[in-house]
This record gives sequence, C-alpha cells and structure tokens, in this order.
Amino acid sequence: MLFSIEASSPVPIYAQVVAQVRAAIAAGELRAGDALPSVRQMAAELRVNPNTVAQAYRELEHEGLTYVQRGQGTFVAEVGPERLAGERTQVARALVERMLHEAFRLGLTPAEMRDTVDACLATLPGGGARAATLPADPPASIAIPFT
Amino acid sequence: MDRISLSDPPTPEAAPARGGVPTSAAAPALRTRGLSRRLGGFSLRDVSLTVPVGAVYGLLGPNGAGKTTTLRLVMGLLRPDAGEVEVAGIDGLRHGAEARGKVGYVPERPALPDWMTVGRAMRHHAVFYPGWDAAYAAELARRLGVDPARRVRQLSKGETARLALLLALAHRPPVLLLDEPTDGLDAVARRTLTELLLEYVSDSGASVLVSSHLVHELERFADWVGVMDGGRLVAETPLERFRGSIKRLRVAAGATAEGSLPFHLLSREPRGREEVWAVRGWEPAMADALAARGVELREVVDLDLEDCYVELIRGDARKEAAHAG
Repeated sequence: MLFSIEASSPVPIYAQVVAQVRAAIAAGELRAGDALPSVRQMAAELRVNPNTVAQAYRELEHEGLTYVQRGQGTFVAEVGPERLAGERTQVARALVERMLHEAFRLGLTPAEMRDTVDACLATLPGGGARAATLPADPPASIAIPFT
Repeated sequence: MDRISLSDPPTPEAAPARGGVPTSAAAPALRTRGLSRRLGGFSLRDVSLTVPVGAVYGLLGPNGAGKTTTLRLVMGLLRPDAGEVEVAGIDGLRHGAEARGKVGYVPERPALPDWMTVGRAMRHHAVFYPGWDAAYAAELARRLGVDPARRVRQLSKGETARLALLLALAHRPPVLLLDEPTDGLDAVARRTLTELLLEYVSDSGASVLVSSHLVHELERFADWVGVMDGGRLVAETPLERFRGSIKRLRVAAGATAEGSLPFHLLSREPRGREEVWAVRGWEPAMADALAARGVELREVVDLDLEDCYVELIRGDARKEAAHAG
C-alpha cells in the first residue's frame, strides 16, 4: 500500500492520511490484521511531522478501523460487511460531492448532471455494471483527489 | 555575518553544577520574550516567540527579516540589548552553557576547521557536550555517508550540511535549532536530511525550530509557523490555523464596506468585474456578515502555505508604507 499526500491541499495532512487508510480498507486493499507502517516509517516516507501521523492513527483507532497492539504496531481491525459498505458509501459520497460542487459552478442542472454521469458510465467496460457485493478481486488502487 | 566555529561551543569548565540550574516544570521547549538587538543598520525588535514541547516550528521570513539573528541570540552567540531567552525551562542568559547543552544547532553556514578530519571534528565537538553518544554519532555517519577519514575541506556542500546535522544530533538534544539546514542542497540531499530529521523527531519527541525560505518543504512537516518581517515577529500560530485564516475572496466589484470589515484586509485588486481580496483573520461565519454589509461574496479560495505567507508579507509591506507615508 502506497500512501501519498498533497501538502498544499486545504485538507489537513492528518485528514488525508485518515482518508487514504479508510479508502484502502473500503476497497479491500487493507484487510483485517494487516499492519500499517509505523508512525516513524510513515512520517519519514511522507516527509510529514510524526505528530501528524500519530494524530491520524489516533483518529483511525478511535473510529474502530484500527487497533494498537502494544509494542507491535497498528493493525487493521475486523470490520463487518455492513460497516465496510458504509465506509465505501462515505468515500464515494465525498467524491461525488466534490464533483457536484464543480459541476454546479459550471452551471449544470441536476438533470444535466445525471445525463452526464450516465453517458460516462456507458463508456466504461461492461457499461458500468458491476457486482453489487464486494469484489473478490479488489481494485488495484483508489485515487482520491484532494485538490 | 558572524560565523560559529568549533572554537565557539560552551566551555565545560564554565558550566556550574547541573543541579544548581533552576528550571521551570511544564516549560515550553523554547521561549523568547521581548528579544531586541541592534546590529549595524538592522534592528530586531521585541521578538517573543514560543515553541511548544514536541512542536516542529517553521520560522519563515524574507532575507534580512531577522531569522538568523534570532537563532544566534537564542544560542547565546549574540547578547540581546533587551529581552529573555528560555530553553527547556533554563534561563539562556544566566545559564547559557546548560541551555546550549539542550540544543542541537545547525548554523546558517557551518564553519568547521577545514584541516581537521571528520572524525577529529566529531571528537572535538563531543568534548563540549556531556550527552555526546559516540556510538550514535558513528551510526549517523554511516547513515549519512559521512566518511570520518576525510578532511573537512574535501567535503562537498551537501556533505558539510550532513556533517552539521550529525554534530547537532549526536548529543541527543531535546531541542533542535536549524538555520536553513537544506539551503543550497540538491533534492536528494534535502530528502536524506529531512528523513533523518523526522526519524530523530519520531524517536526522541524533540522540539524543532527550523528557519527556511523553502516554504513548500516546511508545509509538509511544520505544525507551527512564525513569520518574521523587518526584524519583527508578525505572526505565530499553528500551521492549520494560519492557513485557515488567510484566504483570497472573490467578490463582486463595487463593494464599499472596507471600514467595517470583520477581518484584516491585506490587499484588494480589481479583476474584471470582480475584485480579489486577500484577507487575514478569516472565519467561515464571516460570509454572512459580508452579505449583511452588501458585499457579494462569490468564492473563498484556499491558499497553500506559500501563498498565505506571500500575502501576509505583502500586506505587512503595504502597512509599513502607509505608516511611513
């Protein structure tokens, strides 16, 4: 799992780290029992303040997405299918909200938005039809724009 | 500009017994109060800054703003005309040697005796720091690729910077004072130094005051910012709050509410049928207050740290010009 952050984004760095771990869990890239990088490792790799990484890890733990094993590190918690679906919805919502915000700035009406989404879906392989359940084969990565 | 050399560090015999130095509990990592100093045509005026324990504090400012002078005053390399310095709860003016013992300092231009080998420079430096950890110094030398057998004069700029960081870290100080530590280095060397610095902070929980004009670099790892301009500290705040409070606003042209605005207007420029305002002290709730004053707000634009910094410095320059004129 590769993390990256956008330092100049208005989204605070700790929130970006939380969002990426959340998205990776929702996508099935990170599964129960998987270890997250240590705070030290993550801070050096992203060149961010260790306090910021620690803050992100505290929030993930507080949300029940991870747990800390003393002396071992931080691990992904067992997350039930309902919670997982909820996380996916939450990540998706954030993406859609961002898209809508931009679209409304362009002056699109809700009907035009729906038409545009349908038109784009139709160009995807398989016409955008995908299993409603969690994919057995998780997508390689989820990119979340932070700008 | 004065230089620090290896002959400058605190002399061990001048240090009073450790137990005799009063320290205050729960003190910040570093604090100055009303620090002032005239130096030729330049004067540092009333600088009161506080680095909380565990913070990475980025000190920003244009060239000549007083960043290096402030750091040199903290290190006791200059005497202030007025003001106080406190490092880890120790009075830096009364107990300079103890205060400096708490600090790892990377000067703006590390000047090491160039005839020495790196290993000799390390041993020389170790004499002045009771907490010097020779094994750790050797490990740092390996990690940083600094060869103890080479002579200081043979080192490249990047190697000299790495040696300076090694000398600053090897006594495992709780406070780091770094004056443009990556200035003039290439991207790879900067990356190495930054990673090592952040690992040190992870492991030790050390507090850091780092001055830099590389604002993008600081944006990643600083959690506090201080901004200096013209010898004064013009802002000091957690980084997120700094970025949250300085915004550009797109407003419809013709707004007249300037006298009664709830924030500080740094600049105001016409842009077609709009105006772009740079403001300081912004809060989201102010959008309503603007509407009530008949200002049509079209967008609040988030700025990155560099833009915030540039708007603040330019606003400060305008204010100075207005006072002068």
